[in-house]
Amino acid sequence: MNREKRNFSEWLLEQLCREEYLEEILGDLGEYKEELSSKPKWQRKVLYWFHVVNFLKPWSLKKFEGSQKLNQYGMFKNYFKTSLRSIKSNGLFSSINIVGLAISMSVGILMILLLSELNSFDDFHEDKENIYRVTSNKFMYGQELDMGSASYFVGDEVSRRVPGIESSVIIREGVSADIGVDAGLIHLSGLYSTPDFFEVFSFKLKQGNPETILDGPNKIVLTSSIAMKLFGTEEVIGRTLDFQSTGGWQTRQINAVVAGVMEDPPKNSHLQFESIVSMDTYDQPATSGTGWDANYRTDPQDFQGNYAYLKLKDSTSPKDVESSMAEIVESYNAAQDHAVTHLLQPMDTFVTSDKYENDLGPRFSQSQLNVMLVLALVVLLSACFNYTNLSLARWLRRSKEIGIRKVSGARRGQVFTQFIVEAVMLSLLALVVGIGIFLLIRPGFLNMPNPASSGHSMFSLDIGLRQVLYFIAFTFGIGLVAGFMPAYFLSKLKSTVIFSDASKVKVFAGLNFRKVLSVLQFALSIGLIMCAIMVNKQYQFALNYDIGLDTENIVNVKIKGDYQELLENEYAKLSDVVEMSTSMMTMGTGSAELAMIQPEDKSSQSIIFWNGIDHRYIEMHNVELLAGQGFLNPLVNGQDREQIILNEHALEALNLGSPEEAIGKFVHMRGFWRAKLQVVGVAKNFVNTSINTLGQGEIMMNKGFGFVQRVHSETSGLLGVKFRGNDLVGLMRELEAGFKLHDPEHNFEAEFYSDEIADTYAAQKTAFTLISFLAFLAISISVLGLLGMAVFTTESRMKEISVRKVLGAGIKQLMFVLSKSFIWMILVSGAIAIPSAYYVVDKELLASYNYKVDIGLVEFLSGFVIVLFIGVSSIIWQIRKAAVQNPADLLRNE
Amino acid sequence: MGKYSIGEFEEVILLTVAVLYENAYGISIKEDIEKRLGRKVSVGAMRTALSRLEKKGFLKSEFGEASAVRGGKRKRYFKVTPHGKKALEKVMEDRSKLWEAIPSMAFDFKFA
Repeated sequence: MNREKRNFSEWLLEQLCREEYLEEILGDLGEYKEELSSKPKWQRKVLYWFHVVNFLKPWSLKKFEGSQKLNQYGMFKNYFKTSLRSIKSNGLFSSINIVGLAISMSVGILMILLLSELNSFDDFHEDKENIYRVTSNKFMYGQELDMGSASYFVGDEVSRRVPGIESSVIIREGVSADIGVDAGLIHLSGLYSTPDFFEVFSFKLKQGNPETILDGPNKIVLTSSIAMKLFGTEEVIGRTLDFQSTGGWQTRQINAVVAGVMEDPPKNSHLQFESIVSMDTYDQPATSGTGWDANYRTDPQDFQGNYAYLKLKDSTSPKDVESSMAEIVESYNAAQDHAVTHLLQPMDTFVTSDKYENDLGPRFSQSQLNVMLVLALVVLLSACFNYTNLSLARWLRRSKEIGIRKVSGARRGQVFTQFIVEAVMLSLLALVVGIGIFLLIRPGFLNMPNPASSGHSMFSLDIGLRQVLYFIAFTFGIGLVAGFMPAYFLSKLKSTVIFSDASKVKVFAGLNFRKVLSVLQFALSIGLIMCAIMVNKQYQFALNYDIGLDTENIVNVKIKGDYQELLENEYAKLSDVVEMSTSMMTMGTGSAELAMIQPEDKSSQSIIFWNGIDHRYIEMHNVELLAGQGFLNPLVNGQDREQIILNEHALEALNLGSPEEAIGKFVHMRGFWRAKLQVVGVAKNFVNTSINTLGQGEIMMNKGFGFVQRVHSETSGLLGVKFRGNDLVGLMRELEAGFKLHDPEHNFEAEFYSDEIADTYAAQKTAFTLISFLAFLAISISVLGLLGMAVFTTESRMKEISVRKVLGAGIKQLMFVLSKSFIWMILVSGAIAIPSAYYVVDKELLASYNYKVDIGLVEFLSGFVIVLFIGVSSIIWQIRKAAVQNPADLLRNE
Repeated sequence: MGKYSIGEFEEVILLTVAVLYENAYGISIKEDIEKRLGRKVSVGAMRTALSRLEKKGFLKSEFGEASAVRGGKRKRYFKVTPHGKKALEKVMEDRSKLWEAIPSMAFDFKFA
């Protein structure tokens, strides 16, 4: 027999089948396998296993040892019955276990669904394993950046020059428009794409010729749902669609002809869009705005929002393509300080990779997933511990049953199986309840902001047949884990010992094990509570951090056209409006423009971030100036920018000396415009990014920042409105009414400044919500367990309590005696949990934060105190009940 | 009768083994029955029938040579024994006796 090639199915059959048939069965299986090789992969697997299982029939199975028959249904039926009885007769313990397991299983279910949906992302593409995205590594903003985007140049060159590429497509972001139809405004989003879009991807085209559909300019493919919204029908080929697209910092007029209609992209597609516009359309210059470069097809620098996908032939190795790409950019790199390198990213990592900045599609990073998995595991283990603990504690009740079974000839393995079956059954009951709980928490989870994408809306979390199978397998696993220890200990008991002198077994090996489990469980709860409290403190800290700007009572209204002044006049009429000022972007949320800046003598250069503001901005937002003054007059259209306000970091980077010295000096600035600017003011450093996150945050941290003047009445930007009074709803309504008066075409977009800042910290908020939710679950589970243990202890010590009482013990003394061991356990778990949780929070959770909150004594002890309080009160509740009973009632019946 | 007692399914199997002559083994028997007679055959039932037939002495089996298709496993080939042939003949004979005994009117359904 070929030992090396033996796989699991063969091993299984070897174990189970009679020797005389084995060779034949394996041979037949081999033949079936051959037959199946023409079927698709999943069918092959399923049918193969069908055949494997089909061979496991009474005729083929080995006779089992001794008098035992293969048919053990009777035995299992018996296990099933005794399990049911035992679950029923111990209502309290069963319900504690079921509730605990159900709570933790709801989290487990969530994780299973999350995992299976993440794994199935982009599964609908044929040849998914051959599709790659070109990534770029480039030195930018003072550090190396891995980006999911790549220049048109490299995508184009590689597909033309390198053999072994079946097809390729280049996609560009930036189709975004509000289109007016009879029913109102419809928002249209989309991508620009080169012609082979439908060859690389397996999106289903309903109408249109896939060969030529995106050839040439002014062609658009609509998804069927947007076609229905725009035209009310799907028969739209040849109809024209004219709109102004404002995306990627520019506005362009697109007069497109509908060339095709496709099915909506599936939810598990990383590309989400409503329309595809042919790339040739993008050749025409933008009507206004910045960022369009006529040479975008040949510029190896043009990385922004441009994505190249390659579909390789089966025989092509991605490594070869990568080295070809290196050759393509070689000549370009030779002239650069920092080389650009391009690599290939396989499709199955598009969603889970957290390596790449600037990528397309939703993300749920592996690290994020790992944190959630660990937390879910903690909660699950906690519930398993409960089961183990309570079953071990109650061993005495079951010992007689075990004794009888053993005397009647049960082997250890059979008693073991019996307890495992019981645990699995209980878990199955818990699964039913758990699915119910899951359905309750699902909407909450889906609505939680996802730090890496627009929301958890990338998931649907639907339960299908396959998922149910996963759940059941998972439940069996849980049952096994929870039931293993009790089954192991209980099946070890000897019947002679059980019947002769039960007190001998009192010193039970399980006892210490039980305590260890309880301590662990409490340590986990304490740790989770501490984490939740500290993450929340960091979140609050970030929200209230003085970023150096006044953001209270300010609403930022988006300006979308040539009516700034009219709008201001309109708003000035409102009684609640105090002041107004305009800027290009919102400060403090991480958005900013980038430019090169040099002192007048060009002796050094530095990157600075900048924002355009008007002459009223500094005053309205209370930006503190160390020297000089703000802008005095509005910058009228056509006038050149002449002044700049720098912050302290910028002075440092440019060696401009002290704030006072810097005033009046000149600098050269080069962004997508160039200017020589005079420093008129120096501002204190402020925070213009999420203060918590690394990555982009770090890039923008401690970098120079400058304010230049925003052109008055530019067609885009923000109008900051400072208001008084508390009628926020009324104010918003008035603002919207005023906006609609001058811009009936666009949607009114306005946000409270403080809300925008809060959005910047959505990731922390999510982390806090998740951790505190899980902490809540963990603590409920451990308190349930504690309650069960307290009930059990008091019940089994009733006689002791009565005797003590008769001998004169007071309630207080009794409570002390009974709760001593529990409190001791909580103290030990606190001693374990506090330092380790502190370590985790300090070194892992908050390690990546720029400004860390101080952890005080309160946070330090909080989790411990909470657990101690809840634990002690639940014990006392139980013990009090026992302690106040009349001892005569208990002792009389002896 | 006793000596040649044989069930309907057993008869089908035995006949198929004879039909396949030198190529009668597990899968081929199953597939041949399924193809020729259009009825589903479960592996278990076929195995039981084969082993029972062998026990009764109507069939004998031997391992053939290993083939690559079957992952190097040998096939167990079945052959009808003379005793088996007699059994089949007996069944045939019994049937034809019965057929001959049917009066011609019995199957005349026109006026029924």
